[in-house]
Amino acid sequence: MAATSIASKSIVSKSIYKSGRYANKRQFKNKLAQWLITLGGISVLFTLVLIFLYLLYVIKPIFASAEIEPIQSIETELSAKVFSIGIDELKELAYFIDGQGLINFYQIEESDFRDVGSKVLSQALLLDDVDNTKLKLLVDGSDKKLLIDNHNRIHLISPEFSASYIGDQRDIIPAITYPLGEESLVIDEQAEPIENIAFAMNDELAVFVAFTKDHRLIKTTFTAEDDFNYDPAYETQYQQISFQEKQVDRILVTPDLAMAFVQSGNKVFVYSLDDEDDVPLKALINPVGTTNMRSSAKELPTKELTSMALLSGGSSILFGNSQGEVTQWFEVATDNGREFKQIRHFEVSNNEAITNIFTEKYRKSFYTITASGEIGLFYTTSEADLWRGNLLGVQPTAFSIAPRADGLLMMKGQNLQLFSVENEHPEVTWQALWQEVWYEGYPEPDYIWQSSSGSDDFEAKFSLVPISFGTLKAAMYAMLFAVPIALSSAIYTAYFMTPALRKKVKPTIEMMEALPTVILGFLAGLWLAPLIENYLPAIVLLLVFLPAATLLTAFSWHKLPEKMKKRLPETLAPIILIPVLILAAYIAFTLSPVLEIHFFGGDIRQFITNDMGINFDQRNALVVGIAMGFAVIPTVFSMAEDAIFSVPKHLTSGSLALGATSWQTLIKVVLLTASPGIFSAVMMGLGRAVGETMIVLMATGNTPILDWSIFQGMRTLAANIAVEMPESEVGSSHYRILFLAAFVLFVFTFVFNTVAEFVRQRLREKYSSL
Amino acid sequence: MISVTPKTLTGIAPKIDLTNLSPEQVALDIKNLNLYYGDKQALNNITMSIPKGQVTAFIGPSGCGKSTLLRCINRMNDLIDICKVSGEINLHGVNIYDRQVDVAQLRRNVGMVFQRPNPFPKTIYENVIYGLRITGEKNRRVLDEAVENSLRNAALWNEVKDRLFESALGLSGGQQQRLVIARAIAVQPEVLLLDEPTSALDPISTLTIEELINDLKKQFTVVIVTHNMQQAARVSDQTAFMYMGDLIEYSDTNTLFTTPKKKKTEDYITGRYG
Repeated sequence: MAATSIASKSIVSKSIYKSGRYANKRQFKNKLAQWLITLGGISVLFTLVLIFLYLLYVIKPIFASAEIEPIQSIETELSAKVFSIGIDELKELAYFIDGQGLINFYQIEESDFRDVGSKVLSQALLLDDVDNTKLKLLVDGSDKKLLIDNHNRIHLISPEFSASYIGDQRDIIPAITYPLGEESLVIDEQAEPIENIAFAMNDELAVFVAFTKDHRLIKTTFTAEDDFNYDPAYETQYQQISFQEKQVDRILVTPDLAMAFVQSGNKVFVYSLDDEDDVPLKALINPVGTTNMRSSAKELPTKELTSMALLSGGSSILFGNSQGEVTQWFEVATDNGREFKQIRHFEVSNNEAITNIFTEKYRKSFYTITASGEIGLFYTTSEADLWRGNLLGVQPTAFSIAPRADGLLMMKGQNLQLFSVENEHPEVTWQALWQEVWYEGYPEPDYIWQSSSGSDDFEAKFSLVPISFGTLKAAMYAMLFAVPIALSSAIYTAYFMTPALRKKVKPTIEMMEALPTVILGFLAGLWLAPLIENYLPAIVLLLVFLPAATLLTAFSWHKLPEKMKKRLPETLAPIILIPVLILAAYIAFTLSPVLEIHFFGGDIRQFITNDMGINFDQRNALVVGIAMGFAVIPTVFSMAEDAIFSVPKHLTSGSLALGATSWQTLIKVVLLTASPGIFSAVMMGLGRAVGETMIVLMATGNTPILDWSIFQGMRTLAANIAVEMPESEVGSSHYRILFLAAFVLFVFTFVFNTVAEFVRQRLREKYSSL
Repeated sequence: MISVTPKTLTGIAPKIDLTNLSPEQVALDIKNLNLYYGDKQALNNITMSIPKGQVTAFIGPSGCGKSTLLRCINRMNDLIDICKVSGEINLHGVNIYDRQVDVAQLRRNVGMVFQRPNPFPKTIYENVIYGLRITGEKNRRVLDEAVENSLRNAALWNEVKDRLFESALGLSGGQQQRLVIARAIAVQPEVLLLDEPTSALDPISTLTIEELINDLKKQFTVVIVTHNMQQAARVSDQTAFMYMGDLIEYSDTNTLFTTPKKKKTEDYITGRYG
């Protein structure tokens, strides 16, 4: 015993220490394989994490809040009151207009030609033919300014900036233009002093709405002889507006020259300016009155309208009141026609009056300012509260938003102060993406995905609800079609089919999985969709005919005399079904026009649309269900078949030996034992249906609507990304939201797979028999 | 000569003459049974009578056809496509291979327990009443009673009565096999076929099952296939020795093991082959 153990030990030790080329090579190969496999596994995980992180990296900025930082402050030679300030698009030159009617341009950002703080241009804007000319009133209208001096002379000016290049360096040169000529404008026929005025203009028209000292509200229209861009010549039309009030606090004219808002105390009169002959009162808004639901009766007397502003696009008007609230109003179609309604409400400050509201030019953001200098930045549509703070400590004497909305310019004493604004994606909030949003012009809040349009005033609507819904709807209809077929064929193949036939059938169905989905989508969109539209009754009939024909064939086969059955090999028995099914389909399609004529008035599509009141899209959920179901069937079939086939034979035998029929054994033992596998088969199919792109892209019609109807289309997350990604600007909100859609899709499939795995494990614990 | 383990477990069975059984004593009457797997004949003209209320063992080397013969008795061989049977097996004077016979009904009368414990992935309770459920029995009292009776008869009641509604898969191998026996006897069959019921079990579980078989014959006719000659000697009243599809010798167990008539039998029980 001892001897043998020593002997074996020596053999072992020999083999351990055995060295030589061969052993080293073997060890090297072993190590190499080990490293390669580890590397492969880690890189798969790493790639997944990287994709995930990249998605998050792109998405993150849309949920960031705004940031406002001081960047520059320059001292100016301001001696009198400041009326207006402004800055160029590149934030290099800032200007102010003072009480003397002087415009001064300063370098506020370093350039190659001038130092920061140096004066670039100083120009008098008022005529100095009369002594002691001073600026009395200045009205801003987008980038133009209307100036009225103490002699009631009126000028319209526009500070402009042009870039010139000296060598490689860019130089911004300011200039003043007079779009309506340098002569004093005649706004009031009766030449009364103007107390309050607003204007808006486009290339052909300039409209002024003014309130004169003798309490007349007037509308004056200048019609260009050619185009104001080239030629200041115009014709004038004077109109008087019927108006009873003795006081006007503020006037606003919409940029599309359609409406004027005239505030008198707490009342706002809305006039329609569209009509050439008449200026009718369109509505009377009472922004702080009884219609304000938020305020309780006690607060009512102290609440006053303190500011108003037009939101970008001019459809919405914002009202600020003495209680620190801002409300957004726009016209909504109601049963009584179009009416102004309060849409939103922002709590800006605690009981401090909002002295001014400034709106961005291209977006629906607005800034609020209170008497103590508190500044708030908000976005209307998304109801985002983006920034609050007190930048100067006091109320700025003048305030201006940089043209690209990336900066703020404020005047404090003699200082012009520039702030940078980091506010790339104010329109996107979690709320706006997933909840109903009341968009301008819509009768009620809604879930809408509409990322682009032909109009410039268009506001992109990014609700992920309709496209997430579309994804689930498409997947649901596909599963509705695929699961019964896939599972019943899996059961038949695994449990009833002879092994010889199974060997042929299973790979054949699995081959279907290799079919490119673009072909399925193409067929679905261009062949199946019109076919279903033309033969809808046939499709419905098929749902009844095919199972009925199958059952009938099975029954007749069962009743067939034994002798006749023997003639046909058992493997071929199911083949009898093929001509029967073709015949059933033929009958269905032949009956279809007959049915249409007799029951549906000749055209079922019109019948559905007109008589049943259901919208019918040619590319609808039915088409998608069938086409995508077709793509999902092999996945579900293959896994479910494996699960059923691998139910141990001794379990089936056990059941049969207890006197159970095949059917009872199938239901009570086989399916139960295979349930974890069947469940994960279905979930894998669902995962496939959710992520499928080409079929839904080509067969859904891509309409982002919220409707379960089988006759309506949908737009899915995957198709949405495929459709819109090529046309979205890199880094824009749209681009980032598409990444978010991809992320949501990722989460969908992740959740489905995790739930599937979890349930499968639970089922396996319960039902696994091995 | 080999020493056969004394029959300590079987009760004192009434001596019966296998060659001359009265019809009341016969549970199963097998006549000229031939079985083919495709072209290959697996059973050659088997004729034997299995007496009622006794334990009959089939022994023989691997592949001798003993399990095949057992499976013929409840027509489990029907599940094999290429299997063809001729001859008769009579149960109550009815040939079970008659075309009028309902196979499911037959299997309810002839229960079977397999080599490997095969409880269904259900609770213990549901396993036992499986045979009753599939016949449509819904009465809770009947079911409860059947569960208790069957589990008691299968000597499992005391071990599982507190966990009837837990999964049967949590039981040990021996318990599972007794559960399967309980499941088989819950439908009150006349004949119970045991196909090497202890070959997958440990010695202690085997002993429990053997004791159980001894009890079962009071109510059922038991036919057992076993590889283990000592087990056959311990539990059976009659033993049939099969070889290459032939029934070589069939007599009461004592005789077969102590004074076999055929040389092949003697060779087998003395361990010369098998």
